[in-house]
Amino acid sequence: MSYILNRVFSMMLTLFLISAITFAVTNILPGDVAMMIMGTQSNPEALAGLRETLGLNDPLLVQYGRWIGGMLTGDWGSSLVFKEPIAPLLVQKMTASGLLVLFSMAIALTCAVPLGVWAAVHANRWQDTAASSTAMLGVSLPDFFWGIMLILLFARGLGWLPSSGFVDPAEDLGAAIRHALLPSLALGLGLMAHLTRMTRATMTGILKQEFIRVARAKGLNEGTVVWRYGLANAVGPVMTVAGLQVGYLFGSIIVIESLFNYTGMGWLTYQALLNRDIPLIQASVFVIAAVVMLANLIVDLLYAVVDPRIRLS
Amino acid sequence: MKVPPAFRSTKGILGTAIVLIVLSIAILAPILIPADWATRMDMRARLSPPTWAHPMGTDQLGRDLMFRVLLGAQTSIFIAAAAVLMSIVIGLPLGLISGYMGRTTDNVLMRLVDTLLSFPALLLALTISAILGPNLQNTIIAIGIAFTPFLARIIRGEALRVAQMPYVEAARTAGNSDLRLITLHILPNIMPAVIVQATISLAFAILAEAGLSFLGLGTQPPDASWGLMIQASRDYLDRAPWTALVPGAAVALTVLGLNMFGDALRDALDPRTRGAA
Repeated sequence: MSYILNRVFSMMLTLFLISAITFAVTNILPGDVAMMIMGTQSNPEALAGLRETLGLNDPLLVQYGRWIGGMLTGDWGSSLVFKEPIAPLLVQKMTASGLLVLFSMAIALTCAVPLGVWAAVHANRWQDTAASSTAMLGVSLPDFFWGIMLILLFARGLGWLPSSGFVDPAEDLGAAIRHALLPSLALGLGLMAHLTRMTRATMTGILKQEFIRVARAKGLNEGTVVWRYGLANAVGPVMTVAGLQVGYLFGSIIVIESLFNYTGMGWLTYQALLNRDIPLIQASVFVIAAVVMLANLIVDLLYAVVDPRIRLS
Repeated sequence: MKVPPAFRSTKGILGTAIVLIVLSIAILAPILIPADWATRMDMRARLSPPTWAHPMGTDQLGRDLMFRVLLGAQTSIFIAAAAVLMSIVIGLPLGLISGYMGRTTDNVLMRLVDTLLSFPALLLALTISAILGPNLQNTIIAIGIAFTPFLARIIRGEALRVAQMPYVEAARTAGNSDLRLITLHILPNIMPAVIVQATISLAFAILAEAGLSFLGLGTQPPDASWGLMIQASRDYLDRAPWTALVPGAAVALTVLGLNMFGDALRDALDPRTRGAA
């Protein structure tokens, strides 16, 4: 219990630091929100007036306090580009991206684990070379390159799936899945390559250990030895890497959602960055960092569930 | 000199060969190929598929893709190398001090580094680039800052491990100052880890530059980088897929080479991971 409390306290501290860094980074910007609302050609007096109203003349610390106060009380301000309150916008886009992240994680894990185990079982034979080379190639290709290839093949060539757009799952689940499939695949392929390498490395190490030799000596069949004994020990490390990859995924969705015109969190962040919509940049960067941190916390807690030898302390 | 076993494997040989070839192209292409060959427009051969005159085809303005890829190598490699160098220059002292000093200094610094690690590297790089204004120099700064926490974390771990070794203890007892201990006794022993990490970071930096340029927040025309070429190809994918395939293959080959080279380097320098993936 004290472990959980400790983690919650540490999480609050990290969230505070995330907010401070986000605020600091976005405040190096030349020009400010007032200038962005009124344009560069605006009347200097009107601009000064708006600055005063928005409180942009206050010391940075006061501005930060006001921003963080607003975040805590649910007032996240309004986007300058979309002219909408930010909080509901983020919730909506996060749901869209959540679908992509879940799909790509599922695609990556269902392919990577068997492939990695297969490579480890046949270590240093052709199966291993084939799986490891494929994974190496996967790690080396940019995600958006996968995306372009998938669009060419499945959307333009075969015409099986739409090449762009987003459909709300609440409106039409089938269409939503069809639209999410290609971007998820583009994200999942790169991720799969990373996880295959990790699974192979972990399993190779485990299969060399004493308890595996004992299991084989006992006459257990190879399937049980590899999947029940071996893989059970590899789940933890593989899960940790998968958790760490959530951060990588949230970086990649910016590129992939823009490529597929999938209007999720990544697309929103990109629009905010392109248009220098400072309130939206601050909020979305903060939310993404917070989600990544939470994902890692959840993985840490799950670790204790899958591996009873780990005592959280 | 004896070649370590890791570099006699297929992976090691291939990786080293690719890295050497790409490096030579990046250095020699701008000297051997006149710069205007990459910008010369052949309006009669726009979006031409590979032919004898244009072995890798042409882009929407009729520019030769082969020369563009060869000359673009310099920009892509330069940005990646400069960014990694910058992350080492900032990350090395941070990691060293954190690992060596321990206690409060370590706690504070690593808390900051961990927080920075919560920001996806690409998001951090994109944000910094958008804020500073996208150009070549700011792309380097953006990627350099985004990669710093990774390096600092790894260097800190290594410094912590080395700082506890008996020979460091002995050197301290002999009356060496902290600065002398760090620079003369600890630094040389963590360099292998730094070099391996730098090679792997270089691969990621090339991918990051491609991603940034693809989104229009990295290298800007008239500089030609591989990411920028892929971005320009987006509107012509149907008619001329080679406009994306050629620079895409260049990125993939370079990153593949760096990854294989990095793997071999790690196996050669760190006996603990020998035999792992």
